[in-house]
Amino acid sequence: MTPGIRGAWSAGLLGGGCVAWSAAPLRHTGLANAALLLAVACAAMGALRLPLAGVAAPDRIFMPLPLRIWAAFLKLVRQPPWEEGTILAVLWLEVLHPARPWHTAVLGVVLVAFLLAVHLSESRATPRVLRPQARLLATGACLLAAGAGAAMIPAASGPAGWLRAIAACAAVGAAVLVIPLTRTRA
Amino acid sequence: MNEDRGDRREVALHWRLSPHARRLCTLGLAGLAIALISGRPEFAAAAAPALLLLAARRPAGPDRVSVRIRLAAARAYEGEENAVDVDVTGAGDHEVQLTLRPGEAIEPVTATGVTGSRARFGFTSAYWGRRPAGALEIVLRDRGRLTEGRAVTALPTLACYPRPAQQRTRVVLSRLPNRLGEHSARVAGEGIEFAGVREYVPGDRQRRINWAATSRRGRLQVSTFAAERSQDVILLLDGTSDAGPPGATALDLALRGAIATARACLAGRDRVGFVIYQWGGVHWLPPRLGQRQVYRIIDAMLAGQRWASAGARLNRLPRAILPPGALIVVFSPLLDHTFVETLRDLRERSFAILVVDVLNAEPGHGRSAISQLTRRVWRMEQEAIRFSLRELGIPVVHWDGTESLDLPLAPYTRQGMVTRR
Repeated sequence: MTPGIRGAWSAGLLGGGCVAWSAAPLRHTGLANAALLLAVACAAMGALRLPLAGVAAPDRIFMPLPLRIWAAFLKLVRQPPWEEGTILAVLWLEVLHPARPWHTAVLGVVLVAFLLAVHLSESRATPRVLRPQARLLATGACLLAAGAGAAMIPAASGPAGWLRAIAACAAVGAAVLVIPLTRTRA
Repeated sequence: MNEDRGDRREVALHWRLSPHARRLCTLGLAGLAIALISGRPEFAAAAAPALLLLAARRPAGPDRVSVRIRLAAARAYEGEENAVDVDVTGAGDHEVQLTLRPGEAIEPVTATGVTGSRARFGFTSAYWGRRPAGALEIVLRDRGRLTEGRAVTALPTLACYPRPAQQRTRVVLSRLPNRLGEHSARVAGEGIEFAGVREYVPGDRQRRINWAATSRRGRLQVSTFAAERSQDVILLLDGTSDAGPPGATALDLALRGAIATARACLAGRDRVGFVIYQWGGVHWLPPRLGQRQVYRIIDAMLAGQRWASAGARLNRLPRAILPPGALIVVFSPLLDHTFVETLRDLRERSFAILVVDVLNAEPGHGRSAISQLTRRVWRMEQEAIRFSLRELGIPVVHWDGTESLDLPLAPYTRQGMVTRR
């Protein structure tokens, strides 16, 4: 099995896992059904896009109907940004649930793994190419764990929640600004 | 030639965010936005890894890279394996990914995507013609794989020659022009093939004395030898009709057969010329010797629309193109009546003509009685055309394109082709 095919399988499984993780337990409020439908469709089309990336699209002038349908299908699979759609739908599904920080943290890890798997599959690369980013990924995981942990600390409802969210965003922004400098000095 | 096969060239790169970076950006920004809107800090935490990965983005790399593209062979026959070698320099520490985008009728035989600054892409050309081998896509990625520099450059033009048919034997006329060659003529001469014995006459060379015959007859006898002559062979192609399945049309078969005949005749030291007849005119190459003439002929075949020489007519060709006494080998499906009339005209001008019929297709027909009747009429018309040519002394042989050309030509290659004047 080539790295591309392995990557396609893993990306498909991770995408499906993201959708299932964020949808469970099923809810029927706030456009949950539409978001679930969108997430499933985007994940399925994204999973189809990767193995079909190497298939040449027929581009003759006079093509029979089946070939024209096949060409249109390939175009549909390749052009829209299915992975971005999956991310947005999955996050929306997660928002619809009541606060569960550890659940969201796991979803964040799986989403990043999903994006890395998609990238490895479409560039036909092995996971070895991610080695230079290992430190960044480890730092990101630490930030994720810290953020989830902070969110799990009981706090008064209302403005305190907003303040914690702003603080988390600020912490992430600060880390983003600091980490490259640290790497450059190193 | 070097220009055509490709040399080093500078290719401009267009840098932009990679799809991977765009996805990370979506996750990061959406996470932050949801955290701020919903007041749930865990979403900001979920966005953190993606934003950190994006922070490693570096400025764009070089504006252009130097690419050396070289075809292993600028000329190849149909189905013959060929390769294009690519070498990219000036990419710095960026990762280079090379992808071959095959052109029309180009079929890759190796992987079309390679990671590395050097690659060799193997391919075959499925159909004859002169066309670009395709395009090469170059993608440079930075260390974090967040920015991509892309460029697409055209591959050199490939001349794909029709796959020649098999032909080992040659059609030789019984009457040959008075020019030195390798075919044994019926007249005595200075060749090496024994022709007979005759009585010695003053002036004969002593080394020709046949001592065995002399001792038997009691008088000096000398051996005689056949003269060795060459002939002019004109390959006449009918490009007016192109019936048949793709890859085995009448024109495909005509080109493959003509190349085989040209190679066989040139190997026998004959002068070979080439005439192609199309709507609106003809194009020709005068008869010449040497293996190089094969490539001249094929290049003329691939010249496409430049074949047509406006206003020229087949029955008004100059003497240098159709030398008197030349053998004309015609490859035609015999569907064009004007062409058939021209053949009759040439025969009336005492040219020796041999027609290789390359028609292997019939018009589509249904099951109705009218369709069946139409097909029968069409077949009878075709038979009548071939019969009328045979009556004029023009032999017509059928070739299906798969067997060796030696088989249909066998009646005319075993002995000299006799032509009525």
